[in-house]
Amino acid sequence: MSENTAAAVSLGTLRRGGVSRPPSVGTILRVVFILVALIFSLFPVIWIISAAFNPSGSMVNQTFIPQNVESLDELLTNFNRLFNDPTVPFWSWMFNSLAVSGITTVLTVAMAAVSAYSFSRFRFSGRRALLVTTLLIQVFPNILAMVAIYLMLLQIGRYIPFFALNTHGGLILVYLAGGMGVNVWLMKGFFDTVPRDIDESALVDGATHWQTFRLLIVPLVTPVLAVVSILVFVGTLNEFLLARIILTDREKWTLMVGLFNFVSAEFTNDWGVFAAGSLIAATPVVLLYISLQRYIVGGLTAGAVKG
Amino acid sequence: MSASSLASTPAGGKSAGAGGSPPAPSAPPASVSTLNYLVRLLLLGVINAGVLVFGVTLINDGNAFLGGTIILTTLLLSVVLLRNALKPMRWMVPSLALVALLVVYPMFYTLYVSFTNYSDGHRHTKSEALALMAADKFLPEGAVSYEWNVYRREGAAEDDASAYALLLTDEAGGNFFAAQNTALETVPAGDPPEAFSGYLLLSGGDRFRALQVIQEMQFGPADAPIGIQSRSAAGEFQQRWVFDAARDVLMDRETGAEYPADNATGEFRAASGETAPLGFWVPTGFENYSRLFTSPVLRGPLVQVFGWTVMFAFFSVVTSFALGLGMALVMNKPFPGIRVVRSLLIIPYAIPGMISILIWRGMLNLNVGVINTTLENLFGWAPPWSVDPMWAKIAIIMVNLWLTYPYFMLICSGALQAIPTSIYEAAEVDGATAWEKFWKLTLPLLLVAVGPLLVASFTYNFNNYLLIEAMFQGGPPIPGTSAPPVGYTDNLISYTFRYAFAAGGTRDYGFASAIAVVIFLIVGALTLFQFRFTKRLEEIGENV
Repeated sequence: MSENTAAAVSLGTLRRGGVSRPPSVGTILRVVFILVALIFSLFPVIWIISAAFNPSGSMVNQTFIPQNVESLDELLTNFNRLFNDPTVPFWSWMFNSLAVSGITTVLTVAMAAVSAYSFSRFRFSGRRALLVTTLLIQVFPNILAMVAIYLMLLQIGRYIPFFALNTHGGLILVYLAGGMGVNVWLMKGFFDTVPRDIDESALVDGATHWQTFRLLIVPLVTPVLAVVSILVFVGTLNEFLLARIILTDREKWTLMVGLFNFVSAEFTNDWGVFAAGSLIAATPVVLLYISLQRYIVGGLTAGAVKG
Repeated sequence: MSASSLASTPAGGKSAGAGGSPPAPSAPPASVSTLNYLVRLLLLGVINAGVLVFGVTLINDGNAFLGGTIILTTLLLSVVLLRNALKPMRWMVPSLALVALLVVYPMFYTLYVSFTNYSDGHRHTKSEALALMAADKFLPEGAVSYEWNVYRREGAAEDDASAYALLLTDEAGGNFFAAQNTALETVPAGDPPEAFSGYLLLSGGDRFRALQVIQEMQFGPADAPIGIQSRSAAGEFQQRWVFDAARDVLMDRETGAEYPADNATGEFRAASGETAPLGFWVPTGFENYSRLFTSPVLRGPLVQVFGWTVMFAFFSVVTSFALGLGMALVMNKPFPGIRVVRSLLIIPYAIPGMISILIWRGMLNLNVGVINTTLENLFGWAPPWSVDPMWAKIAIIMVNLWLTYPYFMLICSGALQAIPTSIYEAAEVDGATAWEKFWKLTLPLLLVAVGPLLVASFTYNFNNYLLIEAMFQGGPPIPGTSAPPVGYTDNLISYTFRYAFAAGGTRDYGFASAIAVVIFLIVGALTLFQFRFTKRLEEIGENV
């Protein structure tokens, strides 16, 4: 508390101290800077929203404000085309993406939390070696082993069709393994901040480690689990290379692979349809990020990087 | 396998303490513990037996590495589940299994493949390749030739291919009935009968449809099969490729040519330089690496690709960090609406990357994109983004700046708050200007906190496949590269992808793996540097 007041006071001194030029110039510069950044950041966003509602659907005829719109139905031309075009199974892609990311997230968080708890609370021989290995492994992105992963799914798939190439099972398995290292590290860091007195008192009262973990630790770290869940979910949703290698059927593609291939064909003519799809796919993620930005920043500084 | 071990972990953890209601130090009653142990042993035994069968099947199929890894992993994890001393590790069994099989194994397998010639045409072991080629039959000239009619067993299921049989008529007018894998049966001469020992003659459209199925099939005795040559002719096949193991030579009986095996390169090569249709998979030592570093055809593009990979990662980090820090400094002082502005500025970072990149790709379209049409209206000129190598690179760095700077803005905002203000007060007492304070205090202190993230971001962008591929697919193409085509904006990871998975081209897994190993080494070096930065490795002591 007192630290905060001190910070506020000294911030005030800093501000007064920093004003060597006339204040108005500094303020104007600041406003200009922010405005330029806002335009740079938001123009593509506004442009794609405008494209989504432009009835012509083509890039050539796009105007900033949709012209000659006479009915709501006309405003939604691109959305209707998107939903009714049999060559663009948009909802399948969306569903695939949500299913793959959702299952990956739940399983990753569950497995990583259990492992992180063990690293955080137990002392055993081989612990240090395992921790160092985890740390070293997570720095090598598994896309580098794409050839080996591809060949492995090819070989395993002959016997276990559920994990074959061109299955969501195989893709989820690869995602699970790829994210394990970094997420165990992230969560171990958070678990370490929970005082050990809490679980020790529970253990003394006769609780098992599993009970302590489930009934005491998990409720305490739920916000952290939520942040990790979001990072894993969005990261998986965004993944492109492995999904592209593993999934070959149009119907099985994730949204990112689908959009990429859709765009490769007749982009300038289907611009409006692409815009409509992008809008539907991006809006929930953006809202999630904005509403939870404070928590996400904490997770980011702890080590996860999204490009 | 992972699913079953996942289930066994919590169960094991719970039941281990179920009988142990007394405080932790005292052991649970012996009987419960023994029963529990026996159940665990039984379950593990079943799982291990299954995995063993699966592993051995894989080994027999020539995938000794994968089979061995799967068996070894399962055995080690079983030890963990059975030995009480390793109890804490039971919590990690599912994670360990996944990481061992899908992270560690692929790393080593990549290394192994990089020392082989594994590629299209070299996908099989020598014996597999010979077996595949042995199935290749040809119809020698002057072989007995027949006219054929097709029959089908009465009442056979729709998709039962074994229900077909042929009636063969030789040049002398003799008829023979040929079912599958049976000796020829002589039939009285004359027109083909409508029915013969339970088989019915197919004619017209039925005959044509049957042809689709039977044209690849063999009839009559297995050692001298008869197959269909054309719409009316059939003939006795002979094996085309015969391997003489004693001389290690493959012979083409159709042309009479000899193809001695070259076990160093995995090919059967005739004196004329021609090779047999299938080569085989052999270790080739450092062949892929020496090609990577010495082949004049590869060197030019590779130097370009490597240079751009480093430049791209460097400029991406520097520009995003600079703009992010700038925004963080501007936003460090509260003003009305700051929360809304901050939320709006985060939007580019929150939009799924693929979508943002494709939006930019549309906006940068040369002919009808909004940026170029606007610039042309204003100045009569616009940059040739996707055509000119330099402008393509500028476009990519600009888009990455747009994507990434909010991240650094968030990070720097946090880090700026953490710098103790007393330092600035001391500096002011010493008469430092705002400029000096930024360069001598803010930036160095910030770098301590943000430095490791800068290195991490560099590493990430070093392997940024999404942006490169979604923006221009690596283009514009470098002249003279065709198999596979390489572009001016290709980075190492997309270059690897092209060698391993490019549509239409030859898939050269060995060479692609060699590139991947080189990237491994570069990324590894960068990471060690990052760890020194953070002293992360040293921190892992017994109490961390």
